[in-house]
Amino acid sequence: MLAGDPIIQVTDLVKEYRGGLRAVDGVSFSVQRGEIFGFLGPNGAGKTTTIMVLISLLRPTAGRAVVCGHDVAREPDRVRSRIGYVSQDIAVDDALTGEQNLFLQGRLYHLDRETIARRMAEVLAMVDLTDRAGDLVLTYSGGMRKRLDIAEGLIHRPDILFLDEPTLGLDIQTRRRIWDYIRLLRAREGVTVFMTTHYMEEADQLCDRVAIIDHGRIVALGSPAELKAAIGGDLLTLDIAAGDGHAAGDLVGLLRTVPGTKQAFRADDGRWVLVAGHGEEAAPAVLEVLGAHGLRVRSLAMKKPTLDDVFLHYTGRELRRSEGSDDFGRMRMGLRRARMG
Amino acid sequence: MRTTFLADTWWVAWREWKRFVGQKARIVMILVQPFIWLVLMGNMFEKMAALPNFPAESYLDYMAPGVVTMVTLFGGIFGGMSIVWDRRLGYLNKLLAAPIARSSVVSGKMLAIGLQTAIQAAIIFLIALALGVSFKAGPLGSLAVIGLAMLLSLVFAGISLSFGALITSHETLIAVVNFFTMPLMFTSNAMLPLSFMPGWLQTIARVNPLSYAINPMRSLFLSGWNVGELLQGAAVLTLVALAFGCLATWLFRRSLA
Repeated sequence: MLAGDPIIQVTDLVKEYRGGLRAVDGVSFSVQRGEIFGFLGPNGAGKTTTIMVLISLLRPTAGRAVVCGHDVAREPDRVRSRIGYVSQDIAVDDALTGEQNLFLQGRLYHLDRETIARRMAEVLAMVDLTDRAGDLVLTYSGGMRKRLDIAEGLIHRPDILFLDEPTLGLDIQTRRRIWDYIRLLRAREGVTVFMTTHYMEEADQLCDRVAIIDHGRIVALGSPAELKAAIGGDLLTLDIAAGDGHAAGDLVGLLRTVPGTKQAFRADDGRWVLVAGHGEEAAPAVLEVLGAHGLRVRSLAMKKPTLDDVFLHYTGRELRRSEGSDDFGRMRMGLRRARMG
Repeated sequence: MRTTFLADTWWVAWREWKRFVGQKARIVMILVQPFIWLVLMGNMFEKMAALPNFPAESYLDYMAPGVVTMVTLFGGIFGGMSIVWDRRLGYLNKLLAAPIARSSVVSGKMLAIGLQTAIQAAIIFLIALALGVSFKAGPLGSLAVIGLAMLLSLVFAGISLSFGALITSHETLIAVVNFFTMPLMFTSNAMLPLSFMPGWLQTIARVNPLSYAINPMRSLFLSGWNVGELLQGAAVLTLVALAFGCLATWLFRRSLA
């Protein structure tokens, strides 16, 4: 594989389950070496199915996926030895100690005893579990289990780490710590990260590039900044004291003269909305323009678009509302809570 | 990948083994349960030995190999449970994402069950001796008893893992397994001599895989070495265990496609 080649290359990938459900419906993308690449979408969008195909646990119905230079359908063993996989299930064995879990994982990747000992010390230190490594996982908190799980995914120095919903079911503080670990492991190990999430904030914070996936299709792909810029820009909401002799139409015309403005309109609540590429620059400019015409601004609010807005823009639905209610998912969440309690 | 099969099998079994030795309560049960069986059942049916044509001097002598096979049956037949739990908790995907031979997931679990059964059989054997059960085949014969128990446990582990590959809920698996265990137990000569059974039951008992372990085992206890019977029993059990092991592996691989 050449240095400049993408480490993951997916072309027209389709996965149809028995019974006809098309979980992945013609997806194409590529991931560069060293990238943190995110799949963002609601539950049931096809994120986990895509990961399962990429790690060679599901055979694609059509299309092709090449991971680390090997076709996942034709050379699954070569792919498996080069990748690490951390499922959303926090799949650590709680009847074993942290060390035993890591040791076993090393053995399953055919590492020798010395390599395992060395890597174990490294990955344990990275996820801050060195002190607790000898304890049974049964005594770990949910966050510690997740960190151990991530450490296990790294023991064999994979080229790519696949993280399926790395912070699902974790509290905010733990989630932020996991983000720090993901950034750290990329910096220290140079590993490429392919992750899925249904948390906008997570994709925004962590990913170099994000693919928004809905109903098995990629509806948008780019860096978080690009995706947000593509929907128009920042929103400035103004409450303007009605000036003498200024009709509504005149005011829209006036707002459009503000440098960098893409769009201006009056909202239903009577306030004025201005869409600009750079809200920070447009805010003083609009005050200046309005002031020069003797208009007083009572309030000004600026809102940066979020990936939420991007998702809404491309799918017409809000991410939170489009979450499916599948029983298995709920059962799993229940199990996870039970184990954490 | 075939070259790693044995090592992969070993490490899958290693995990099961670590889980096993970590379960203190389970180990206590393993020690206590055969003791209760031997003492309680031995006393309950003591008078049976006085019946004409009873093939042993005491019922305890007769029943000891029966208890070994019974514990083996229960040890092996729940082996499929671990695959159902691994699937449910997501651990199975973790195993499958590793570059291990697919079949080692099944063979590793079978190996672990075989080793656990060997230990259980040895414990029961020692308890039986302590309770005064006669054993005619000497120290080497005890190894033969343990070997037969291991082979029989592999048969049941294979059956159980086959169901475990097909069934995704442990409740269903328990129901299916229970459906098999009791009839298997009571259509064998583990607790009662064949001659005490009605003709149709005798026919079933003769083809029951349990009999292939119990008969040679009982000879070792009551009369000493019967090499022909022992080899025949071991050969049949090995073939049946292999057949179910292959079936379980095939069903398991199919469940992944």
